[in-house]
Amino acid sequence: MPTPTILQAIALSVAQALVLSILAPFIVGLIRKLKARLQCRRGPSLLQPYADLAKLFRKQPVVSTTASWIFTATPYIVFGSTLTAGLLVPVFISQVPLSFAGNIIALVYLFALGTFFLILAGLDSGSAFGGMGGSREAIVASLTEPAMIMSIFAIALTAGSTNLSAIVHRTALMEGAVDPVPQLMALAALFIVTLAETGRVPVDNPATHLELTMIHEAMILEYSGRYLALLEWAAAIKLLVFLTLIANVFAPWGIATAPTPPALAVGVTVYAAKVSLLAALIGLIECMFAKLRLFRVTDLLGVAFILALLGLLFFYILQG
Amino acid sequence: MSWLTPHVGAQLVDLGSAMLLLTCFAIVAQRRLSACVDLFALQSFFLAMTATLVAFLTGTRHIYVAAALTVAVKGLVIPRVLRRVIERLNVTRELVMNVNVPASLLICGALVMIAFFITQPIISFGHLLTRNSLAIALAIVLIGFFTMIARQKAVTQLIAFLVMENGLFLGATAATYGMPLIVELGVFFDVLVAALIAGIYTNRLQDAFDSVDTSRLSELRE
Amino acid sequence: MTILLTVILVAYAAGMVLPLIVPGKPDIQNVLAHACAGVAAGTGIVLGVSGIVARAPLTLASSSTIPLLTFGIRLDALASFFLLTISLVGLAAAIYAVGYLRHLSGRASPAVLGALFNAFLCAMTLVVVADDGFLFLLAWELMSLISYLLVVTDHEDPKVQHAGFLYLVMAHIGTAFIVVTFMLLFQQGETFSFDAFRHPGRPVSDRLQTVAFLTALIGFGVKAGIVPLHVWLPYAHPVAPSHISALMSGVMIKTAIYGLLRVLFDFLGGQFPWWWGFTILVIGAVSAVLGVMYALMEHDLKRLLAYHSVENIGIILLGIGAGMLFHTYGLEALAALGVLAGLYHTVNHAMFKALLFLGAGALLSATHSRNMEEYGGLLRRMPWTGACFLVGAVSISALPPTNGFVSEWLVFQSLFQSVQVPSLLMKLMLPLAAVLLALTGVLALACFAKAFGISFLALPRSTHARYAEEVPWSMRIGMVILAATCVLLGLAPMVVVPLLDHVIQPMIGASVAHQVLAPDGWTLIPVSAEFSSLSPPVLALILAGSAAAALALTTLAGGRRTNRRAGTWVCGLNLSPRMQYTATGFVQPIKRVFSTIYQPTVKLETEFLHESQYFAKRRHFTFRIEPVFETYLYQPVAALIHALASRLRVIQAGSLHVYLAYMFVTLVLLLLIAL
Repeated sequence: MPTPTILQAIALSVAQALVLSILAPFIVGLIRKLKARLQCRRGPSLLQPYADLAKLFRKQPVVSTTASWIFTATPYIVFGSTLTAGLLVPVFISQVPLSFAGNIIALVYLFALGTFFLILAGLDSGSAFGGMGGSREAIVASLTEPAMIMSIFAIALTAGSTNLSAIVHRTALMEGAVDPVPQLMALAALFIVTLAETGRVPVDNPATHLELTMIHEAMILEYSGRYLALLEWAAAIKLLVFLTLIANVFAPWGIATAPTPPALAVGVTVYAAKVSLLAALIGLIECMFAKLRLFRVTDLLGVAFILALLGLLFFYILQG
Repeated sequence: MSWLTPHVGAQLVDLGSAMLLLTCFAIVAQRRLSACVDLFALQSFFLAMTATLVAFLTGTRHIYVAAALTVAVKGLVIPRVLRRVIERLNVTRELVMNVNVPASLLICGALVMIAFFITQPIISFGHLLTRNSLAIALAIVLIGFFTMIARQKAVTQLIAFLVMENGLFLGATAATYGMPLIVELGVFFDVLVAALIAGIYTNRLQDAFDSVDTSRLSELRE
Repeated sequence: MTILLTVILVAYAAGMVLPLIVPGKPDIQNVLAHACAGVAAGTGIVLGVSGIVARAPLTLASSSTIPLLTFGIRLDALASFFLLTISLVGLAAAIYAVGYLRHLSGRASPAVLGALFNAFLCAMTLVVVADDGFLFLLAWELMSLISYLLVVTDHEDPKVQHAGFLYLVMAHIGTAFIVVTFMLLFQQGETFSFDAFRHPGRPVSDRLQTVAFLTALIGFGVKAGIVPLHVWLPYAHPVAPSHISALMSGVMIKTAIYGLLRVLFDFLGGQFPWWWGFTILVIGAVSAVLGVMYALMEHDLKRLLAYHSVENIGIILLGIGAGMLFHTYGLEALAALGVLAGLYHTVNHAMFKALLFLGAGALLSATHSRNMEEYGGLLRRMPWTGACFLVGAVSISALPPTNGFVSEWLVFQSLFQSVQVPSLLMKLMLPLAAVLLALTGVLALACFAKAFGISFLALPRSTHARYAEEVPWSMRIGMVILAATCVLLGLAPMVVVPLLDHVIQPMIGASVAHQVLAPDGWTLIPVSAEFSSLSPPVLALILAGSAAAALALTTLAGGRRTNRRAGTWVCGLNLSPRMQYTATGFVQPIKRVFSTIYQPTVKLETEFLHESQYFAKRRHFTFRIEPVFETYLYQPVAALIHALASRLRVIQAGSLHVYLAYMFVTLVLLLLIAL
């Protein structure tokens, strides 16, 4: 592929940022709608999250007198790191111009940056809820990360690269025979990790404000107005980025392999369909399973870790 | 069926064996007894499918019979018996474990690695089609054995024993494309009887101790 | 370059002598001592950089009539790298100390502390430039003794005495093992010069090499603080004055890494069996995980930081161990990558750990407590210290865009190269090491979210914290220098990597600069652009751009720009510091999940009112975690030694004649043997 010009690269990156940030609230709305329908409710409109965000952006925030500048800076840092992570992942084109800036490990650590500041912000207001949320987030993150690195290892070895663009591009062009077994195990592991990282059932429940169960919501409990809007939006983008990762690493069908207009149009359409399907799967899971007790999350993430480990083992064994 | 090349066939057999192994891990991670029984039934179906695949690819007829028996005995009859036992005894989940779930998972992961290392010298001699299944079969046997040690309820131990048997069957299919039919029939009969006896034994255990916790058997010393 | 080295040594010497002989106010002695140290360290930075890029090492040798006593000095790239690290931290600590010692006044004289500070830096400098066994051991022993004297600054406190004693014992066990290593190497060349160690007269047998490796590992391992030899670290580092803790934790333990690299790659260079690298890798992984786990449970800020040193030494050893493994299998480029990652983390850890210790010192001098539960809300009272501590916390948690992230990323990349190793066992062990590194990283994140969040955010938890004041300018400058270095080392790997390449090239014999750094100079690509890439400056730029976009978005959305301030809603009550989450509470889930490692014991005593059993008068909650290594490893050994010693007391008759008889018998025996 010829290297794109600087202008092309900027245009593609901006387009990717726009696609991610515009599609993200829709995915959240889709999950909510689907859950409502499965529970025999009508549920809010698919566009409700957009309306929520618009409203929140216009409201004046209330900030605790106890809080320091960390509290007001955190939403920008969290949004910034999430969007940066989104720009490293191939979304509708396999060769992302900014992919060289960081590989899949950098992606993990960008999300960790957001987590770090969210925990700090939770502690900053002085409310016990914030500390509790931060404390729980810390333990969930420390159980998730090893499973995540293990599944990344399995993915990277099957694709022969840790660069997201290279992984997706190679799989899209079907370079090299891919064994289904390690791939499937890594996929299952990454899916569980996604549920944990993005705070979905059965690890966390995004729809609750009950102090006994909430994790992510507890950390951002003191936020309001535009700060809350940014954090909600960032959470939606984070979910979308993880779904994108799953969709494009394991099923890069239809992704544009060259920046031509028809390929891009197909890429965007297929991409939206793929992540919507995954979102529907998450909605289904949220209806079928109950939230686990905090200290049972270890079992689930233990399974994810073992799946990834077996994926790795099978990769080496099948390779001969 | 031109797409079913030996390479694709081997990949499918690997996939089937891998699913067997995964159900093993699911059983280790599961605390609810009824779910364990379901998972065991699922594993038996996977085993039957893998065996059928091997039978089809190698043209070994008698494996078909064994596969059909697997579905009938281990997929349907034994799970039914076990569900009865669970219902009658009113035990739903494993509460206290000798080894907790995350630690069990890690140990089982290590067991899989050990199984692969042990079989590594043999693998290169095996049939192309099933060379990886042997390692997986050994891993399943080891995990089954470990689960019998790690869990306390008699029902779970029985399931673990049956899982071991599944592993042995997979191993036999993998290593020699199945045992002679008469041996297999005998084994199935044994397993069925074992399951029934264990079911009765569990009931007796319940009557004697008001519990199906096998660790209480040590009270018999006095 | 010889002149620079002379300037350094003279300046340190002046710093040792002048404050003690110049009469006058303590303030003047204080400034004088640290000005000398500052000049020496500044020169050290220049010499370090020029020594790294120099083509040939600088060598000096003193001639002597006694055959074994020729002192040699050699400044090659490896020594220069460590000299640079020592000098960077030394400079910041010297500036910081000027203000810090004023607060310490009354406890110890600034003149003595200043002189010892210079001596300490001088000894460390001599350790890395020494070119023969005698000078090395002399400097090493001086370094240990001076740091011991600095540890026991508050010698009236029994805890400090205990810490000092433990440190002294451990340090000497370490030195003993290093002496054995040198003796083994001495046998081959019959001289203590490092040159003879490098090119032994007789080929070194495999068994001898193995013994030398093991003794060096234990000897330097004690100083580095690898698990299970780390027990002295959490006692000794916290009780020293904070700028000394910064030196001890930031650079003194790195001299052990220097020694290990010197012995492994320089003296025993060439062929390693695979299990050497594997041993280092396992020690690294275990130290990293256990270090951070014990750190999480600490609420004494300086002890917490000391445990983090164990963790980071583990990360450094992960890189070096992976490098050694690749070296065994002949994968030289990957070997260089592993060692490069380890060395990068060495300098990074020196920076952020020194910064954090200086920050802890600032908190200590402002609040007179090391207990985190008595801090709180300090970001408002001490904005400079807070901001610098935050930079350190982000760096040590390996978050982008700081230096800790870049070096941990490099360690990850070298572990990801496991696919090229021929052995199946190693192919599986390297990913497991990566997993443990990931666990370490995220636990460090949790630990520093706790440390920063509990200390600096929300409401003050004690009177001292409520009235804390920002520290004087010299202390702030010291911290700002290190914070800026942390950020720069993170943003500019394209400067660091070529320098490190100069260091590694003679050790491994392979240059990797062009394989780690893309031709454009902005991107790290170990070991090919296809496999992995990271461009810290570009990443930082995107990060800033995205955050700016968020800012622009909130501005464009309209709405009032000002925030309304209101109290935190606590169900209708007034928020008090006692409602806040404590550090103990914060780590409780982690303690519970990893209870196998911690073996926690929790005790809750409740005293009820006389009138009713339903109303508690007082509750007393204690929890402690089992110090596994002390209980199961050190205490039995100590008890054994104690028992043996009491047996040996028989020969201590206390009579002069008996002692004379001992000496007489020894003399006769020696004469007989000499015959």
